[in-house]
Amino acid sequence: MSVIEIKNVSKSFGEKVALDNVSLEIPEGRIFGLLGPNGAGKTTLIRIINRITIPSAGQVFFQGRPITQRDVEKIGYMPEERGLYRKMKVGEQAMYLAQLKGMSAAKAQAELKDWFVRFGIQDWWNKKVEELSKGMAQKLQFITTVVHKPKLLILDEPFSGFDPVNADLIRKEILRLKDEGASIILSTHNMESVEELCDSIALINKSHLVITGEVNQIRRDYGNNNVELVYADAEGIHTEVLPYEENGTTALEACIARGARVISYRELMPRMNDIFIKLVKGE
Amino acid sequence: MNLHTIGVVIKREYSTRVKKKGFLVTTLLVPIIMVVCLAALIFMVTNVKEKTKVIGVVDESGIVMEYLTSSDIIRYEDFSNQNADSLKANMSMFGLDGVLCLGPIDENRSVSANFTSAKPVGMTVTENMSRRIDDAIENYRIRSYNIEGLETIINDIKSNVRLNTYTLDGSGKEKISESGVNSMLSMVLGIIIFLFITMFGSMVMSAVIEEKTSRVVEVLISSVKATELMFGKIIGVALVALTQFLLWIVLSVVLIGGVMSFMGPKLLSTVDAQAIVATMPADASQLDMMTQVLSQSDSELGAVVGTLSGLNIASILIYFVVFFALGYLLYASLFAAIGSAVENEGDSNQLQLPVTVPLMIAYFIALYAFNAPDSSVAVWGSLIPFTSPIVMLARIPFGVPLWQIALSIVLLLLTAAGCAWVSAKIYKVGVLMYGKKTTFKDLWKWLKQK
Repeated sequence: MSVIEIKNVSKSFGEKVALDNVSLEIPEGRIFGLLGPNGAGKTTLIRIINRITIPSAGQVFFQGRPITQRDVEKIGYMPEERGLYRKMKVGEQAMYLAQLKGMSAAKAQAELKDWFVRFGIQDWWNKKVEELSKGMAQKLQFITTVVHKPKLLILDEPFSGFDPVNADLIRKEILRLKDEGASIILSTHNMESVEELCDSIALINKSHLVITGEVNQIRRDYGNNNVELVYADAEGIHTEVLPYEENGTTALEACIARGARVISYRELMPRMNDIFIKLVKGE
Repeated sequence: MNLHTIGVVIKREYSTRVKKKGFLVTTLLVPIIMVVCLAALIFMVTNVKEKTKVIGVVDESGIVMEYLTSSDIIRYEDFSNQNADSLKANMSMFGLDGVLCLGPIDENRSVSANFTSAKPVGMTVTENMSRRIDDAIENYRIRSYNIEGLETIINDIKSNVRLNTYTLDGSGKEKISESGVNSMLSMVLGIIIFLFITMFGSMVMSAVIEEKTSRVVEVLISSVKATELMFGKIIGVALVALTQFLLWIVLSVVLIGGVMSFMGPKLLSTVDAQAIVATMPADASQLDMMTQVLSQSDSELGAVVGTLSGLNIASILIYFVVFFALGYLLYASLFAAIGSAVENEGDSNQLQLPVTVPLMIAYFIALYAFNAPDSSVAVWGSLIPFTSPIVMLARIPFGVPLWQIALSIVLLLLTAAGCAWVSAKIYKVGVLMYGKKTTFKDLWKWLKQK
């Protein structure tokens, strides 16, 4: 089942076409990478899912039904351009955003306290947002995005602005939320995190959907169907690139039969980075 | 329409503002400053009177001195046997504030009167002197006719009719009226509603700009519809305005009550209207109006009080709230649209022009209306929606036909709703636009965008 289904969605602003007849499905309980160069139409697509922007044509389905304004309570969105009220206190700010997502004051308070403890920021509650460092504000922003336990989480460049320690904290939280059943849309230019986190992706370029599917399948499809065999024998360590065999591992067996010690045997998959560049440049 | 989220927005907009120190300070200080000024004025006036002016009189005519009776304002001392010039030179030695020299009776059966003082004296003093000198001369002339009983006859003829003015109310009943009171109230109402609409309208604009600049707006409108956010903000700020207004009224009543009971009835009985006017550093038109209100003796104070109590304060307050609410909705939504189109306050100046100009025009018509409440400019100004909230409020103290008020409210309501609708469309697009500076052409494009 898909959490979001986008059917023939187009959006134009005056003359400018931001999205042209895009259809895709975002599977439930997975991490979905939304990729594309700057200005491709990713933000427009995200805003359409969020109902910030209404599509010129096409439909969006949320959990199988046409999406309604009430459904946005089940979505958590962290835009690329982060923003909080600078003059507001951290606690009040978090409470406000949580209540806008339909939480009661009491529930919001309890959940927020939990999150503040988990992130080790309990003593920030009465600080003003403008007193926080950028990284601290990012943590607060992340909490306000997920506190209402959204079914769908849309994160636009979630790791930017975090140091490696905090980026790792966020990465773990994202995986934990996924384990708890949330579906996650991850929009990022960081292809390493796509390989590491995403189960499937969609690539948008110049308002068109270029490709969508499972990450592994796409990497396989765009690879040269090679495997890499590394083995050691009396002469030293060897690395061989061999064609992928559909029904068997003859090369590997032959190697073992020769008495060589196999160090690794793996499918050679192209980096997402290379696929991205290849697709965007239209090669 | 999600009432829960609008409620959350309204609550935040309201509570963050009401909890601010600035709000508390303005709310408390404005009535206090007003009352302190008033009290200081009254204190000054009553104290000025207590210091009696001592005036030395050199009366060469021999007929005026007996008419110069001392009062608690002026004490006249007879120095007729002294040399006028040496008296003038030694005023302080004799403890005099001024010297009045009256020449001998001339061929016109009049006298020359010259007053010299070390420091300028108030109008009260000079009028007192000239009135008494006139009395003396008039009586001298009457006597010179040598007709028996003429003095009695003249006194009998003298008339002092006071013109009481009334206006007919709807039911044909007469109300005592004092147009000065109406004028003052008109001006005050016009200014207050103008300030309120401008102040709180631009407060909405700043709030919109703040959300856009801090980029928090995208997070917000992923939870609440843009139009709901805009109206939540407008309503929240309106409640702040009404809270402030209410607190001002309550505080003023409490403070004025306190001052009245402190200064006591003395305040009403001893305040010399002329003296109040004389101490006011006001321009001509204001002075004029103040004089109308204040330059009356006790019987006319009754008319002022009568006019004030004749006005239905409750209905004026209700009209204030209605016209403020509608006028504010109109302007605040336009301000919100402008705020959504810019990224910082500085850029808003040019776009604000079409909104601030009608406000200024309304303000000027209102200031004109307090002199001529039924002039065609004032009547049209109070019907045309962009100026009507301010101009109508300025006209209301004089009494406005009910159909005009009703028409004005209906027109204003429709226009405000239209402006709110247009603004919401612009706002929805505007808050997500960053980068290039917005022009009126852009606003038009956003308006047409679906």
